[in-house]
Amino acid sequence: MIKHDVVVIGGGLAGMRAAVEAAEGGADVAIVSKMHPVRSHSGAAQGGINAALGNREDDSPKAHTFDTVKGSDYLGDQDAVAAMCEDAPGQIIWLEHRGCIFSRLPDGRIAQRPFGGAGSPRTCYSADVTGLVILHTLWEQLERFGVKVYEEYFCTALCVEDGIGTGVVAYNMRNGALELITAKATIFATGGAGRMYAKTTNGYASTADGFGIAYKAGIPLMDMEFMQFHPTTLKENGVLMTEGARGEGAYLLNALGERFMFKYAPNKGELASRDVVSRAEWTEILEGRGVDGCVLLDMRHLGREKILERLPQIRELALDATGKDAINEPIPILPGAHYTMGGIETDKWGATRIPGVYAAGECACVSVHGANRLGGNSLLETIVFGARSAKHAVNYIKSVGEVRPSERTLKAQQERVSGLLGRTSGTRSPILRRAMNATMSENTFIFRNEAGLRKAVDELSAVRKEFDASAYVMDKSTTFNTDLVTTLETDFLIDAALALAAGSLARTESRGAQARTDYPERDDANWLKHTLAWRNEQGPPRLDYSRAVTIADFAPEVRSY
Amino acid sequence: MAKITLDIFRFDEAVDVVPHRDAVVVDIPETTTVLDALETAKADVDGSISFRRSCRSAICGSCSMNINGITGLACKTPCNTVMDETGAIKIDPTPNFQPMKDLVVHMDPFWDKYARLKPYLQPSDSDSAHERERRVSPDDMKKLVDVANCVMCATCYALCPVVSVDPAFAGPAAIAYAYRFIEDVRDGQRKERIAQISEDYLWLCAHCYACSYCPKHVDPNDRIIDVKRAAIKDRVLMNERGPRHALVVTKWIKKVGMLHETELIAGTIGRFNVRGLLKVAPLGLRMAYKGKMPPMFLKPIPKVDEVRTIFDALEVPVS
Repeated sequence: MIKHDVVVIGGGLAGMRAAVEAAEGGADVAIVSKMHPVRSHSGAAQGGINAALGNREDDSPKAHTFDTVKGSDYLGDQDAVAAMCEDAPGQIIWLEHRGCIFSRLPDGRIAQRPFGGAGSPRTCYSADVTGLVILHTLWEQLERFGVKVYEEYFCTALCVEDGIGTGVVAYNMRNGALELITAKATIFATGGAGRMYAKTTNGYASTADGFGIAYKAGIPLMDMEFMQFHPTTLKENGVLMTEGARGEGAYLLNALGERFMFKYAPNKGELASRDVVSRAEWTEILEGRGVDGCVLLDMRHLGREKILERLPQIRELALDATGKDAINEPIPILPGAHYTMGGIETDKWGATRIPGVYAAGECACVSVHGANRLGGNSLLETIVFGARSAKHAVNYIKSVGEVRPSERTLKAQQERVSGLLGRTSGTRSPILRRAMNATMSENTFIFRNEAGLRKAVDELSAVRKEFDASAYVMDKSTTFNTDLVTTLETDFLIDAALALAAGSLARTESRGAQARTDYPERDDANWLKHTLAWRNEQGPPRLDYSRAVTIADFAPEVRSY
Repeated sequence: MAKITLDIFRFDEAVDVVPHRDAVVVDIPETTTVLDALETAKADVDGSISFRRSCRSAICGSCSMNINGITGLACKTPCNTVMDETGAIKIDPTPNFQPMKDLVVHMDPFWDKYARLKPYLQPSDSDSAHERERRVSPDDMKKLVDVANCVMCATCYALCPVVSVDPAFAGPAAIAYAYRFIEDVRDGQRKERIAQISEDYLWLCAHCYACSYCPKHVDPNDRIIDVKRAAIKDRVLMNERGPRHALVVTKWIKKVGMLHETELIAGTIGRFNVRGLLKVAPLGLRMAYKGKMPPMFLKPIPKVDEVRTIFDALEVPVS
């Protein structure tokens, strides 16, 4: 049996930041990750990380808080948002001191670029590979502190004994063994759930693992209906074209060659918040002003030098996928599933309702993003809440004696896996995923309505039932069985998708990323509250609205850009 | 749409003694990437085909594999650029690694090369002396960003012939990562880092440029040259054969316009290193016996000035 004080599930930015904080706090900490940490999808984040450093213009954490609250369409909890924005400058300096390679201003300070929905240039960056450089910096710190990494271990379940978290069960992909990993504190940092959709910026690994594990263990998922569709993704493969492109001055054009964003956001244009831009693009396309089902991202006027210096990665990604060179041609783009604002319900220290269980980063819902996340705030959230959850956990473990290993959960997982592997026929996970993806794309995309959402709930419930009755794994090997892992991931994705559809159906208003054509207005009188979805074995989740939104300095106002 | 045959290396270390191959036919647009072709094969034909993948946008570095004899990222390789006239693509695990399952290999030796670098910033002053960021000029940072694009996919390591004959060689990726710290003006361990990478056989690199095929344009081949230059500039472990060899080669080419083989041996081994020289003496005697003894004295070639002009134009001043 493996045993540590603190176990972090996931080796991306939030997970590694948590692990480094716990290690520096003197705890015996380990990371459990289904892939090597530097493979994590945090590395695909391009544009930057927000902090009110004020290196280019006067700025303050308070201004950052306001922009974030407004961006969230007032569903963000203002105490948590303020905590994040106040921690931000210190965390950026921490990263810089640890060697992070940020782009610089001529005087040597960290460069900052404008981003959507922000009142001043607040986004620190490293060309268009910001996620990658931070990922490397944190991995270097793991090496420095000798943090143990259980690499290519796929976590399948959370152990809860007498109401407290006591560790996890994980599947060792190298030899097929399920192992019990005992921990006084467990921090989930498993990233997003973009793979609920077919067209997503997310990698193959963003499969709702933490969502599903916590949910099955009795922790509610919060605000799952708020899924961010990023305005600029490639039609061919869903790959992200950073918001940094528009931050550097790129235009969005329709088939008539118009910069159409000013019709929808007279002040901010292309730099309105993402929900606004995605809806505007989709409206242009639906009304017949698209180009082959896309709009155009035009960077030509930025010039070769600026594109090669600040946006080299996306230029190459577009070139590889479309054959078009952004230096000479506009790139066809459309909105695609990008970021799960919802997630495992936590407080502003990353703590869930189960003592000893934490969540940080995209898998968590604190909520700092509310109904819509601002660009540059996701990397920030990983760093801030990775550190905060570990700080809390390190304190918490001092009050906990030995935790008892829970063979019960291990046995249940062994039965689950041997059940899946024992089946000789049934429905393979790619089939189940296609059914899920189809209904998600059709009914839970940018514009939603009751009939479509009802259909989504029904169809996802059917997929859930089929999974439980007949999910079939073709590969029976004990070595690197990715067929089995993909099947377990599909289980988690279906849970998350069902919570998303059910939450969206119940919320009879339009707010942030949730746009209901049958309820087009924001309804603060009835809906200034979070959605809590509790797992229900028998069907769609039980929804509960007992958690109100925390309002502090900023009363809800009409939101325009 | 095109019928594409994926000819895949199959092996499971838990049960197989020898690998075999499977041919899987998929019907996909021929511009599909090799990675997506494999995904289709796994989803629609054989769920047991195993490979690593995540981002499918050349940033996670997971899907390096050998495609028709050339190692690269499967997500960055469209099928129509590699398939033969019959529509077949041969896919193997990356060379220089031990296969685990199908296209999945044991990566640990590769990660170990990084661990030896102590790959984290070690500034000469304390962080608490800086309330804000350490200042770094845009140009100093730019040098590092170009290397920071490395996604650790190990393509260069797999392509490296020196790694294949001497697994102790750090390999191109780790040397490029060492460069990232050696050239970081914030770091205080420049000399120690150069010494460490020299001990990890920096000078074994034969500059064959196999690693210039880097999917992320990090060009580890050029970074290796940069690190060697740094070693000479800072005079780190200069008495080893690597730097001595490099210096004596350039010295004589500048002087006479061609390689001076006798001086090369003496210069690399050391004129007063009697034991070293005795070791190579039998070789010298055999060469003399066959009439292939290089001349002891060389006259400069005609127009040697032009060679020197090239040096003057290219040489980075060594302090």
